[in-house]
Amino acid sequence: MRKYLLSLLTIMVSISLVLGACAPKPTPTPVPTKVPTATPVPTKAPTATPVPTKGPPDLTGQTITIYHFGDLSGPYAAITAPLIHGAEDAVAAINEAGGLYGATLAIKFADTAGSIDEAVAAYDRFTGEDDNPLVMITYGSGEVEALAQRFAEGKVVNLTAGLSARGFYVDSGYTFGLGPIYPDQIGFVMKFLKENWDTYKPAGAGEEIKLAYLSWPTAFGQGALTDESRAYLADLGIEIVAEEIYDLSPTADTTTAILNGQAAGANVIWTNTLAFGTSVILNDLNALGLRDQFVVCTDNWGMDLATYAFLANPAYGVGLIATFPYLWWTDTDNPGVQYAQQLFEANERTAGEHNVGYLLLIAGVDLAVEAIQHAIDTGGYENLTGEAVHDALIDMSPFEALNGVLRVDFSGGSRSPHTAQIRMIQGGPDAFAVIQNWAEMPDLRPAE
Amino acid sequence: MNWQLVPQFAITGLLAGGPIALTALGLVLIFKSSYIFNFAQGQLLLMGALLTWWFAVEHGLPLWMAILLALFLSALLGLAIERLALRPMTGQPLLSIILMTLALSQVLQGLALLLFGATQRNFPQMFSAANPYRITTPFVYNDRPIVVILKQNLTWSFVVAVLGVLVIGAFFRFTKTGLAMRGTSEDHELAQSIGLSIHRIFGLSWALAGVVATVGGILLATSSGLDLSLSVVVLAAFPAVLLGGLESIPGTIVGGLLIGLSQGLVSASKVSIVRNAAEIMPYIVLLIVLVFRPEGLFGQKRIERI
Amino acid sequence: MAILRPAGEFDTGYARDMATIRRPWQWWLLLAFILALYTLPFYAGQSLVSLVNRIGITIIAVQGLNLLTGYTGQISLGQAAFMTTGGYISALLVNNLGWSFFAALPVAAMGAGIVGLLFGLPSLRVKGFYLVMATLAAQFIIPWFTRNAFPDVLNGAQGLNVQVPILLGLEFNRPQRYIYITLTVLILTTIVAHNVSRSRLGRAFVAIRDNDLAAEVLGVNLFKHKLQAFFLAAVYAGVAGALAAHNIRHLNSETFNLTDSVFYLGMLVVGGLGSSLGPIFGAIIVELLIEGATLFGPFFIRTFPSTAAGAVQALRPLFFGTALMLFLIFEPRGLAHRWYLLKAAWRLRPFSH
Repeated sequence: MRKYLLSLLTIMVSISLVLGACAPKPTPTPVPTKVPTATPVPTKAPTATPVPTKGPPDLTGQTITIYHFGDLSGPYAAITAPLIHGAEDAVAAINEAGGLYGATLAIKFADTAGSIDEAVAAYDRFTGEDDNPLVMITYGSGEVEALAQRFAEGKVVNLTAGLSARGFYVDSGYTFGLGPIYPDQIGFVMKFLKENWDTYKPAGAGEEIKLAYLSWPTAFGQGALTDESRAYLADLGIEIVAEEIYDLSPTADTTTAILNGQAAGANVIWTNTLAFGTSVILNDLNALGLRDQFVVCTDNWGMDLATYAFLANPAYGVGLIATFPYLWWTDTDNPGVQYAQQLFEANERTAGEHNVGYLLLIAGVDLAVEAIQHAIDTGGYENLTGEAVHDALIDMSPFEALNGVLRVDFSGGSRSPHTAQIRMIQGGPDAFAVIQNWAEMPDLRPAE
Repeated sequence: MNWQLVPQFAITGLLAGGPIALTALGLVLIFKSSYIFNFAQGQLLLMGALLTWWFAVEHGLPLWMAILLALFLSALLGLAIERLALRPMTGQPLLSIILMTLALSQVLQGLALLLFGATQRNFPQMFSAANPYRITTPFVYNDRPIVVILKQNLTWSFVVAVLGVLVIGAFFRFTKTGLAMRGTSEDHELAQSIGLSIHRIFGLSWALAGVVATVGGILLATSSGLDLSLSVVVLAAFPAVLLGGLESIPGTIVGGLLIGLSQGLVSASKVSIVRNAAEIMPYIVLLIVLVFRPEGLFGQKRIERI
Repeated sequence: MAILRPAGEFDTGYARDMATIRRPWQWWLLLAFILALYTLPFYAGQSLVSLVNRIGITIIAVQGLNLLTGYTGQISLGQAAFMTTGGYISALLVNNLGWSFFAALPVAAMGAGIVGLLFGLPSLRVKGFYLVMATLAAQFIIPWFTRNAFPDVLNGAQGLNVQVPILLGLEFNRPQRYIYITLTVLILTTIVAHNVSRSRLGRAFVAIRDNDLAAEVLGVNLFKHKLQAFFLAAVYAGVAGALAAHNIRHLNSETFNLTDSVFYLGMLVVGGLGSSLGPIFGAIIVELLIEGATLFGPFFIRTFPSTAAGAVQALRPLFFGTALMLFLIFEPRGLAHRWYLLKAAWRLRPFSH
């Protein structure tokens, strides 16, 4: 018996070592964080900053920690990995540039594998380790919905890329979005399509927009259809003729969903998914020879460089329309985008991560740091709490993070941005052309 | 029912049943020889697809060579599993054996995640993703003939899968090794007494199961894409196996196709909740089979005595 | 195991003979242990309290599975599905009807039990992995139901936000408080499970496990007892599911999934099938192993930077699977059996046999 065990273990270990050694896609080591040890000797003894007088305080020797947790090994890993790397690179860069008023910015991560149970455990662990947690960044809709109440009770600011309406506005209060909620997104794009229907309608389509909502059967996938967004679409005169689901997997077969949509007379498809979800729809539309019968629209995650990783042919992407609540890598005249590009190159991230996640989280960390700075400026370092950061976020609004890469306005009880662009893929990868510049979105948040 | 969609979905469902049948075949191969129900078959399939991807994309080998290498390695993997994990379990109760294959599935899933990461990836295309076949059916709806659209990759995956099952079936029927394997499945002790090495035969069936799984994995990955969730196809294959009969090779084809067909047909319903039931259709079929004909369509009924 | 007793200890009555706890010092030890658990929030950090809380809930689920699989021998891959059932029932009663959690908990348990009965029905006709398949069907059909049926009430795939239990104005919104609910329920379920196992019912279960045909010939009603086992297992799952849902404060169709069901079976084997201590040992060891993967992960990533960053989660199934395989090969009777051997060796020392 023992013999079996030994050989079994040996084989497993050697397989993992051999394969591990030549593992595919060697992901770069998590951020070579240069610890900014001993910043230039402080002239004055850095006691806890005195009463906030004029001029920035000197916080050398202090550490301010940002926590983040998300799915690095479950279904959403494809999008979470660049988000996390963006956050980590941004933090490292801030430390290299001297930190936050001299204080070192630390960032701690927990992998939840997409499980809410794990997210709660991570929250308990982080709040147990730290008496005064300020900011936690999360990445998934389900996690946000489950934790929003805890963030509000614990007075910990939660910046999130999981844009579920319920997470922000039901039993919530400390959860702030890095993008508009999905109901806003679908309303925004549909209003635009309604107004410009003659320009974008498929050949042979009627005067009415008939919407097919094809998406994943998950909190995220179903996140755009709420009572508010349904009522708004009805007001616009847009009928939802089909609601179909398909598997949360790049191997999903969407044939039945598409054909059911077609049979119901749909001419517009909305899919509330990540890049690979949009790709499956586009692939299958082409494989079925039906691409020219539909306008395909998606949420902000659906239009990304990652979309191309899953398209059977890059040409299939052309014509995809999406909400675009941030600038893009091609907007090189923007200093924020230039900064992100520099970080991307300095950290030698793989081309596959040159996507929305990385850019957005550099802006997200910038938002967090600005808010913390603002809180220190107004209340002093000794009064720096999650609540102070929360107040700072509201106080600062409206606000442009990272030189306008992201535009947020958290005033008036809103905790998610309400301005965005609409872009359309015209030509090859990266050619996300603006078809609607920054504009006010319909406000479809649920009643609190 | 959306009647104009019925022919389309029936055929799409049948085609999707091909890879299910192939996966089911892997399960039957092992069960036939050693009475082990392999819960790790989905992970074998995933490993096979990942290996192919690794050779073809990461190392730039030509696809045929990558496939051959992956087939070879997965056969080895099958052998190793039989030798190291399941042979020590000989004579153990059913629960232990079931748990052993469940444990294997966890280990393989963990290894896949550790070695290849969770990112989704594009798989080399073997069949065209465009230019679907259009078949005009004799049915008419709204005065227009119903045209069935068949995706090329789905059609060809189906053809390869069914060919695979037929080849294995022929192997069992017409070769000497196949005969020995069938003999072993009848009675282990009897087989041993006439000079068959049952351990070799167990090993062979696991190796074959590894090969079959890899073919299935490649077919699934090439028509859509590759990520760790590929292993869930086996969850549709379990009911197919029970429907066809645990020990029947032709049963896998019938079972796989019927499961695919049932999923296709409910998708044509007008009621959204019935349409969404497509994902659990295999298990509804399974419950029906368990209640009315537990031995499956082609299985053998066993009568128990104390 | 009751045979091995220290010299000089005699039973003076039948009650004493049947007692689980025989000596005063055993009572004291048990009390001290329970006291240590109850005072945990006063001396342990939040991470530890939260972990113990989660382990406690897991133990309850595994205890139920032990009654079904350990004693009765009916293998089930559906335990997590019955947890989903219990969780939803309790969440709806508390959220929508304004019930107190403590009133909703038993109702949720009964509701889950009835659903468990339903999926236990095939056990009358089939066994072995046919039955595994039937319970696997539960693992698909129940979550599907919560995603698709009554979307106004169950809220589809998005699931429910679940309210915190409140007792006399005290909100159980932190692990330091929630752990009191978990521990109290856990003590109750342990007592019930242990007593079921030593009653007529438990003996009937064991008879069915060892040979169902023989048991039937001896007059054990298979129909009744198999269903009772399914019912009990699902009741335990319902309790665990309700506890977990109110602890997480969120519930959807994927909160308890197939992987959980597999893990529960694995815990049972690691701990020891058909023993009251088995679920406790198994759940603790496996949960610690998983927690170890979480702690060990960052170190692993530093050592093997070429592996993907998802390594932490990869280590969990890897650790669990390997541990399970090792137990199956070397100690199929689990840790509980080791524990008995250890106790016996202690009593027999200095003689080893």
